[in-house]
Amino acid sequence: MRKYVKIYLPFTLNALKRQMAYKGAFYLFILVSLFSSFISYYLWKAIYTSSDQATLGGLTQEEMVVYVFMVYVTSSIVMSSISNYVSEDVVKGTVAMNLIKPIDYRMSLIAMAAGNMIYRFLVPSVAIWIGLEIYKVTALGLRPVTAVEVLLYLLSSIMSFLIYVLFDFCFGMVAFFTTYIFGMMLAEEALLGFLTGQLIPISFFPSAVQRVFDFLPFSSMVYTPIMIYLGKYTGRTAGFMLFRQAAWVVILYVAGGLIWKRVTKRLVVLGG
Amino acid sequence: MNQCKRYLRLYKIMIAQFLKTIMQSKVDFLIGLFGFFFTQIMGIVFLYLVFQQIPNLQGWTFEQLIFIYGFAQLPRGIDHLFTDNIWLVGWRMVINGDFDRYMLRPMNIFFQVIAEKLQPDALGELLTGVILVAGSLAKGIVIVDILHVVLFFVSLVAGAVIYTSIKLFFASLAFWMKCSGPFLQTAYEMADFAKYPTEIYAKGVRFLITWVIPFAFVAYLPASFFLKNDVSAGMIGIECVIAVVFWCIAYAVFHRGTHVYESAGN
Amino acid sequence: MIEVKHISKDFVTPKKYPGLKGAVKGLFSNEKIVKTAVDDISFEIQKGEIVGYIGSNGAGKSTTIKMMTGILSPTRGECLVDGIDPNKRRKENAQNIGVVFGQRTQLWWDLPLSESFTVLKEIYNVSDSTYAERMEFLNRVLEMQDFFDRPVRTLSLGQRMRADLGAALLHNPKVLYLDEPTIGLDLIVKDNIREAIKEINERYQTTVVLTTHDIGDIEELCNRIIVIDEGKKIYDGSLAALKETYGTKRRVSMEIRQPEKVAKLHLASLLNVREEECSVNYEKESNTLSVTFDKHKIQVPQLLTAVMSVMDIKDVQIQETELSQIVKEIYSHGIMEG
Repeated sequence: MRKYVKIYLPFTLNALKRQMAYKGAFYLFILVSLFSSFISYYLWKAIYTSSDQATLGGLTQEEMVVYVFMVYVTSSIVMSSISNYVSEDVVKGTVAMNLIKPIDYRMSLIAMAAGNMIYRFLVPSVAIWIGLEIYKVTALGLRPVTAVEVLLYLLSSIMSFLIYVLFDFCFGMVAFFTTYIFGMMLAEEALLGFLTGQLIPISFFPSAVQRVFDFLPFSSMVYTPIMIYLGKYTGRTAGFMLFRQAAWVVILYVAGGLIWKRVTKRLVVLGG
Repeated sequence: MNQCKRYLRLYKIMIAQFLKTIMQSKVDFLIGLFGFFFTQIMGIVFLYLVFQQIPNLQGWTFEQLIFIYGFAQLPRGIDHLFTDNIWLVGWRMVINGDFDRYMLRPMNIFFQVIAEKLQPDALGELLTGVILVAGSLAKGIVIVDILHVVLFFVSLVAGAVIYTSIKLFFASLAFWMKCSGPFLQTAYEMADFAKYPTEIYAKGVRFLITWVIPFAFVAYLPASFFLKNDVSAGMIGIECVIAVVFWCIAYAVFHRGTHVYESAGN
Repeated sequence: MIEVKHISKDFVTPKKYPGLKGAVKGLFSNEKIVKTAVDDISFEIQKGEIVGYIGSNGAGKSTTIKMMTGILSPTRGECLVDGIDPNKRRKENAQNIGVVFGQRTQLWWDLPLSESFTVLKEIYNVSDSTYAERMEFLNRVLEMQDFFDRPVRTLSLGQRMRADLGAALLHNPKVLYLDEPTIGLDLIVKDNIREAIKEINERYQTTVVLTTHDIGDIEELCNRIIVIDEGKKIYDGSLAALKETYGTKRRVSMEIRQPEKVAKLHLASLLNVREEECSVNYEKESNTLSVTFDKHKIQVPQLLTAVMSVMDIKDVQIQETELSQIVKEIYSHGIMEG
């Protein structure tokens, strides 16, 4: 473990450093990503006013506000893309170099993603989270979050992070087959926005669709941690959800390893 | 006039060259088209899911929102198709010195920027827009008479010009700050606000997207003119005025920017 | 043809700090640094001249060229090319000039070379008859026909450079700017390129301004050189005069027998000259003592006698300073201050 930390920590630190170099860019990206939260916020407000029911998809209007902004906080922790690094390496032809180095390519990418995650979590997300919590208690009149919920939420988010990066690594392998990964990334983002619950809580989908989602890793990425945070998943349900997340981490880890092996074999044959 | 003809001819020639280069990558083309198309479709599914829960959104029906959504894609798609190269000015060309080559040729610089590329990805947006607008026409929720048809096309052009102007303005900031990509992106993404009726937003937000970065005028406001009888044609008039004013500002900033351009290597 | 009058260019950059701590500091700081890349340079170039514009990396060569081509606006001063200020009337100036930047091609990367020429013909408004005539000439001097139908990205560096040169000359520019035109090329190709430049210059009286690190380019092409260092012009004149002024140094290397006596050797006082007029350098591995001196002040036998009065010499080598040596010294800017 210690050895691992020693090898991969520099990747994390480098990513952190790079993030800080783009200061102006960084603040703006916070703003941009908050745009969609605000659009959702206003949209949901209008939706609830137009509805004659107090709860939609199992959430009250106040809970929905929390949901919308927790999507922001959670996504900034979880969605730390690595497929763009993969495509960059493929385009530049540096993947082969990475095969020579005595490190695991995937691990180095994940370490890098972790650096980005830590930075984004520390700089905007924590502040927004705290702000939201204060707003929630004072203005929305909801109960404050419990320590257990926070702990479970963080645990669940870290698993979500792993699920996301492991999935995104598999997705990044597409880069070996097309140089134009931009279009694919766009589609990935749109799809994930939907299937993870970023755009709309999973509970809004017809129940048949929800049952299909149960067998996919996506709802584990964003929806699960937020439900835990909102106190919708407690006790055994929460335990089960965390277990399911862990299972996805294992499955995607193994799957990614297998795909990587096949792709690199091809790379060695074709020369990269 | 002669000048105009010459540029038209040059545009044809340069775009023809560009098209030759992308013919080699049909897969990329399909992927890009799919990516943008898919993104738009997801937006529709979202609206659909929401409307399973409510009869209307502050007086707007699902069909009307679909029209607004679809209409919004058209000027966006037109701008995206023709002026996508502006993004590269903001992100890369100024900082790495690729902009040099425009300075060296005896042609208008802005013309060179946009004549270098067509973005086929935009067909994803145009396709969504055309399908949704056509669907709305079939449903009979859109007002169809000569005035509305003419102003429809006027509005598309004016909307595209507004898009281009906003992009050009923020991309041009790169001449001072080297890379203005993040600003450009921020401004561009504000267009997402205009996909929905602006009444749902707080006053400040509404003011911002109507008058500061006037995306409301490329989507929701003109769209409402085509949907409702009580909106006057003056709406399209204001849209055109805004298009002209913003274009003049953006072009002036761009022009000034080419004079402070520092190239790369220092 | 070209008049450069007191031209200067300042660059302003935000200050950067090293390391992770520096990155944090950078988040909050807004300090600026002003760097004057070109500092009050003036010169005139006549029609038909080939001028070498030389200096070390970062001396301000490219910046000056970019101001003359209209890419950059000068911070102070003015520049006229054929009576036109490139920054005020950029399009007219662009029609008058041809530019080849060695590292960066102007051609359409993914298309056959022939397509690039077709587009350039339109861009520069070259008539069909002129085009045919020019292409014939360019094909003769640059031999482009072998790769004329190949995509630019598949061309070798030498072929690409010839193609770029051809592209820059299609509209018969009055001034041709070349930034490192022979960089990275092998000797034969270099020779071809130089011949082509010479021929173009003779036939069309094209004014050529070129920056280079290659001494061969200077010796074979330039009838005049301008040397720039740290943004200032430090030499402007013929090559011969440069050699005459700065080529008076001579160097003698001696392999010696008693290295322990090197410390006891006080050459300057033995020869009755000042310290800076004969510099001594001892290299331990090869056991070689090298002396650099002014050939008008000291004779070689005189020097050898002086050295042999202290120690024995095994072998002697005498070197005349060559132009490459001079330029090297100019680049490491030692010679101009001394």
